[in-house]
Amino acid sequence: MTATLEERPAPAANVGGAAMIDRAEGWRRRAPLLPALVFTIVVTQIPFILTLFYSLQSWNLVRPGSQEFVWFSNYVDVFTDSQFRQVALNTVVMTLGSVLIAVALGLLLALLLNRQFLGRGVVRTLLITPFLITPVAAALLWRTVLLDPTLGLVNFVLSPFGASGTEWISQFPLASVMAALVWQWTPFMMLLLLAGLQSQPSDQLEAARVDGASAWSVFRELTLPHLRRFIELGVVLGTIYLVNTFDTVYMMTQGGPGVASANLPFYIYQRAFLGFDIGQSAAMGVVVVIITLIAASFALRLLFRSFSGEEELT
Amino acid sequence: MAEVVFDQASRIYTPGAKPAVDRLDLTVADGDLVVLVGPSGSGKSTALRMLAGLEPIDAGSVRINGRDVVDVPPKDRDIAMVFQNYALYPSKTVAENMAFPLKMRGMDKEERADRVRQAAEMLGLTEYLDRKPKALSGGQRQRVAMGRAIVREPQVFLMDEPLSNLDAKMRVQTRAQIAEMQNRLAVSTVYVTHDQVEAMTMGDKVAVLADGRLQQYATPPELYDRPANAFVAGFIGSPAMNLLELPRSSTGVTLGGIEIPLPRDISDAAGSRDRLTVGIRPEDWVLESTDSDGGSVIKAVVDVVEELGSESYLYAHLAEDTSTSIVVRGPGRVKVRFGDPIAVRPNSDTLHVFDVESGERLDGQ
Repeated sequence: MTATLEERPAPAANVGGAAMIDRAEGWRRRAPLLPALVFTIVVTQIPFILTLFYSLQSWNLVRPGSQEFVWFSNYVDVFTDSQFRQVALNTVVMTLGSVLIAVALGLLLALLLNRQFLGRGVVRTLLITPFLITPVAAALLWRTVLLDPTLGLVNFVLSPFGASGTEWISQFPLASVMAALVWQWTPFMMLLLLAGLQSQPSDQLEAARVDGASAWSVFRELTLPHLRRFIELGVVLGTIYLVNTFDTVYMMTQGGPGVASANLPFYIYQRAFLGFDIGQSAAMGVVVVIITLIAASFALRLLFRSFSGEEELT
Repeated sequence: MAEVVFDQASRIYTPGAKPAVDRLDLTVADGDLVVLVGPSGSGKSTALRMLAGLEPIDAGSVRINGRDVVDVPPKDRDIAMVFQNYALYPSKTVAENMAFPLKMRGMDKEERADRVRQAAEMLGLTEYLDRKPKALSGGQRQRVAMGRAIVREPQVFLMDEPLSNLDAKMRVQTRAQIAEMQNRLAVSTVYVTHDQVEAMTMGDKVAVLADGRLQQYATPPELYDRPANAFVAGFIGSPAMNLLELPRSSTGVTLGGIEIPLPRDISDAAGSRDRLTVGIRPEDWVLESTDSDGGSVIKAVVDVVEELGSESYLYAHLAEDTSTSIVVRGPGRVKVRFGDPIAVRPNSDTLHVFDVESGERLDGQ
């Protein structure tokens, strides 16, 4: 190889020159992306590394000077903390429960809105409204206007059936929070599924009618398979948002009674900023991030497979 | 097997506006393949969808085997339809697609599989039965759509431009297959197309529609030889018939400085009209030598020559009247090129004469 290069110096010089230009050109093309990359690293990776560092410390803010390196004892505490397990379970129930109920209700409403009827525009706008309300305001609305034991609308409506005076928020704290979440997220699912319904080719539906399918068969055999990927998208997106729910819990129940309606973000917040146990809450944060990463990568893989156009007919 | 009758059937999308299908009268004899042909917006697809039950019948009636189906839902009409885009169910395999109408009728699994296998053999789809439509070519998808219609063994097949998404070669091949299969199954078929070649080659009878109205309903040779009006004359045949609006002379009409005598019966039917629309098919011109006497031939100048091998078409404008263009069929090998002069003479035995205003055929019959 070297001999060849020596025999033909001119092309060799050219090759070297081209490589250098390529490298410079490559950097010139990448350079405009660098600020975004640096910014992303600064705001996401540095806090995470700091959290990792804190999670290995015993550090309580109310006892100055108590900070010391304790290796993994915080993690051991996390896994032996029965409250943490309770809260983790709450998070799963709250997130998946709300998402699935919202998808089911959204599907029903989307099917309704996919038909022609008088006043459809008005109905659609009204149905979308909950999604447009600030989550804090929505939570307040549910806590005071709807679920308040003496002044709430729910008890007022149910009073003829003898249900007045029910303390919804303290008797059914998790269900109350979920009701508010479902109410806020149903419109999103509805819009997504409505888009899905409207993308279904009308000639397939007509073919099914000619082929003798009843309305229910058309729904089960054609519409539902067609909507599958839209439902998956709704579930994944809804889960990503709802697993982070904080404001609704904070405004409606403060996670109580006890930790009956607390989810992981709220519990970690409690531990960090009410209990001032930085090391403990950092360890919880790390555990949650790892679990979320595993769950999210499975969910996203499912999603990308669904949208790879496997069943698209053109 | 069934007879299909459209009896003054109309479809009116917006009350007061022009109907999409206007009082259509049509009878499809048992076992016939009838083609509905016409340009876009002629109402041919709407008429088919009325028969399918996918569009309401606003006035008149449609009968299948004597039964009025105006209020019968599509699934109870005992019809099978092939759609332009095939309308295959993307989440189902080929076998499931073909079995779907049978499943919806509650047929048991084994009989379903049996019928699908038979239809697949007939259509050459056996090896694709487990594939999803996505993994098939256009021609294969088209055959699956046909298969889904065949397994039903319906009273009537409805086909809505089933070949329009295929490439030219595939289309010719499939055209013959459909005609052959329809003959074999002897199921009454209504076939919609905008392609007059498909109409002429496939139809036992052809219904030409324009603007929602039936223009003519006849066998292909009759349509070609005796078009009922100027629209049919211009629509059927490729290249289209030359339709020229010409002034009357004492014995006929004048074109390009010569007099074209009209047969007696046409001349009588034309009465006192002083202008007539005269139709001359490209093959009804006789090419003459360019040195012929000016009194008996029409001189023209060639604009375009289309050589098809067995024949050629000369697009030319008249030397005397440059705004009048004509198409002339010539032999397979012609020497003329762009700008060359030619001399032609119409064969007066095969003239088609129409009223200038109404376009109706004038021949005294």
